[in-house]
Amino acid sequence: MQGPGGGRRPPLVRQGSAASSGSQRRASILSGIHANRAASCRSQSTTSDGKAVERGSLVGNKYAIRVFDDVGKDVTPRPLFRSDPNNVVPRQGKLLASSAYFGARGSGFLSSFSMHQTSGVNASLGSFSRERNRIYVDICKNRPGNDRFVEKMMQTVNGAAKNKEVQCDKIIMEDKGMMVTSWDLYDSFNVSEIEPTSKAEGSRATTGKCSKSHTTKELDQTMSVSSDRGSTTSIMISESAILARNHKEEECHSEAILTSENFQQDLFFMERILMENIFQPKLAAYRQFPVLIDPDVTSDTSGTVAAVKAKQEEHNKEKKDKEEQKDAFIDPSTLSVLNKTPEEIVPPRLERLWSYVCDLTNGHSVSSMAWSKVNPDLLAVGYGAFDFKEQKKGLACCWSLKNPMWPERIFQCEHAVTALDFSMASPNLLAVGMYNGCVAIYNVRSCNDAALLDSSESSNKHTGPVWQLRWVEQDRDATEDGKKERLICISADGRITEWLIQKRLDCTDLMKIKRTESEKKKLPGEKERKSEALISQQAPGMCFDFHPKDTNFYLAGTEEGHIHQCSCSCNEQFLETYRGHKGPVYKVAWNPFSTDMFLSCSADWSIILWHRDSQTPILSFSSTTACVHDIMWSPKSAFIFAAANESRVEIWDLSVSTLNPVISCFASPRVKFTSVLFAENTDCLLVGDSQGEVSVFELQNLAAPNSNTVDTLHDIIGPAVAI
Amino acid sequence: AEVEETLKRIQAHKGVIATIVINAEGIPIRTTLDNSTTVQYAGLLHQLTMKARSTVRDIDPQNDLTFLRIRSKKHEIMVAPDKEYLLIVIQNPCE
Repeated sequence: MQGPGGGRRPPLVRQGSAASSGSQRRASILSGIHANRAASCRSQSTTSDGKAVERGSLVGNKYAIRVFDDVGKDVTPRPLFRSDPNNVVPRQGKLLASSAYFGARGSGFLSSFSMHQTSGVNASLGSFSRERNRIYVDICKNRPGNDRFVEKMMQTVNGAAKNKEVQCDKIIMEDKGMMVTSWDLYDSFNVSEIEPTSKAEGSRATTGKCSKSHTTKELDQTMSVSSDRGSTTSIMISESAILARNHKEEECHSEAILTSENFQQDLFFMERILMENIFQPKLAAYRQFPVLIDPDVTSDTSGTVAAVKAKQEEHNKEKKDKEEQKDAFIDPSTLSVLNKTPEEIVPPRLERLWSYVCDLTNGHSVSSMAWSKVNPDLLAVGYGAFDFKEQKKGLACCWSLKNPMWPERIFQCEHAVTALDFSMASPNLLAVGMYNGCVAIYNVRSCNDAALLDSSESSNKHTGPVWQLRWVEQDRDATEDGKKERLICISADGRITEWLIQKRLDCTDLMKIKRTESEKKKLPGEKERKSEALISQQAPGMCFDFHPKDTNFYLAGTEEGHIHQCSCSCNEQFLETYRGHKGPVYKVAWNPFSTDMFLSCSADWSIILWHRDSQTPILSFSSTTACVHDIMWSPKSAFIFAAANESRVEIWDLSVSTLNPVISCFASPRVKFTSVLFAENTDCLLVGDSQGEVSVFELQNLAAPNSNTVDTLHDIIGPAVAI
Repeated sequence: AEVEETLKRIQAHKGVIATIVINAEGIPIRTTLDNSTTVQYAGLLHQLTMKARSTVRDIDPQNDLTFLRIRSKKHEIMVAPDKEYLLIVIQNPCE
């Protein structure tokens, strides 16, 4: 029991003043502390004593509390901070400095320490401790007979212990478990920046409507607090909280969902994915993915039926042939199968893959088709009737490969669309020519239906249907370098115009097609007539084509059946005139490989191959008694071209036969084929018909072109030229 | 309006069995199925989508789930998830 003073240990040296009670108190505390420590290391105990004294001085000056338990043991709580005795040296300096103002009592005592400190600061720790120990030992030795030490007892006042009971609210404990995921942490980190703003807005909204019922307000707050779904939800809920009923809240909410942009986009993607599912085998064939041959299925000539059969049989065999299924990147159950024996040569054929058709385009006749210059999967189709009698409102649609059932863009036009083309320099521009001579330019990027530019206000506009228009890249000479693109149209009023795209669409004439007299044999007996009384001096132009290599030259076909070769630099005269057709020339096309030859088709049921130097036809192809609406050379071979008669589409291969088409595909009875287009990146042919359907056909088993195509073409036509 | 059109077109496509739009709480907003089946699909797919999203984001928190396709023997379920809704289309792909 340490109660009255501490007689066990003599007090430490005190030089100078020290109030006895204070010092005694300190001593009692000191010894109390000391008693509880194992006296293993004397030096340590000294220093810890020193430390404890310091602490004790602090404690003593501040609290002067001592706690005894029932037994009487001193259980005064010691300060938790017990610094490492090794680290005592620097710490002591600081603590001494800071505690220097803790009462005058300690000052002298502490100052003694500081004196020691200054001497010992630069010394090593061990030496300081040793020094202190030595001093203490000396003190102890000097104590017994010394006059300076007086033993004194003191009674301390013990406060009476008292028990006090306190009652507090029950602390409710709850166990909560949580799955922490790395994204949760990431979100919480990021959301903490967004949350304050949304909460502020939410609370502002609720405070603004403080006349609401209590329940709805609560609902608001709970919802906004518990919403971790983003700020929009809480704002929307707080806005719609005017209506007290939950049902109405949900209605507004669902409306908001349905009209949100994300929803629209998701729908768009969903539609495309559905299309992919439906059309997957066809699209794979379009992309020319290799077909895996299933050895178990026998050959079948009709492609789609075979596909179905193959699928069914393969479904049964799927369990057996699992390894084969794994390495195919197309699901093999949807591929069409051909089983070829080596001796058999399969004839070339057109296989119908799918058609671009929808309700909107039903009934409109396809007049022209064009690929986009940058995206080979984007197709623009113009719908309009050729006949004067069947005129209705026209349509221009952009179809994407990814959605064959609904066009990406629909542009409604006042008049039938007769020609269209995509620009090369600005690939989002689509130029459309119409039956009333109007030329409009649409921006494909926007969903807007309105034309970007229209030529209706132009004073120079065409007075007859624009039968063809094209964006042509031309090398300008000397004045400007680099290729510029011009929009060139030909129309039934006999003018070939170049359109300038400025604020308003305006055009200049490139050429006026004058009527040329056809060479008629003058029958004997007929009087010579000076000239026929013509309604107009100009012949309606039907088509044109610029030379692929030298864009200064172009051909123009007219309604009279003549084809004129013209030059951009000369506005007045034709360079050459090719006569051979007896009806309007619907299309001319230069051969992309052998650039001295061109092809023309006309309403006189024939297709004629010309050489540019010869005024008479080289070869003439006629296979039907129907006018040929459209022809196109294949972009892959110099010999192959496609022609659309009214009732069928034909593929001619000049290396195989010049008399008969290689492939001939018949249309259904009421439908007439009106235009053809080859696909650039794949072996497919697009055929447009009078019912508004654009069918995609795959060209199968056509002869591959060989290297020296130009020479062989000349060889073929050689005999004809010689004659 | 465009949303309605697209939704109608999707519903009318070949092989599409059902189209369901549910909000973030799992309550169907638009559906072409009867109520009990819709609610069943809604609940199950909601949970699956959450799990799928959690998986994707656990691997990389900056990533997020954009589309979920479940191909089964009989049909294919396609789910376009979003923070506020879930667009579900059930299609029978092969004919």
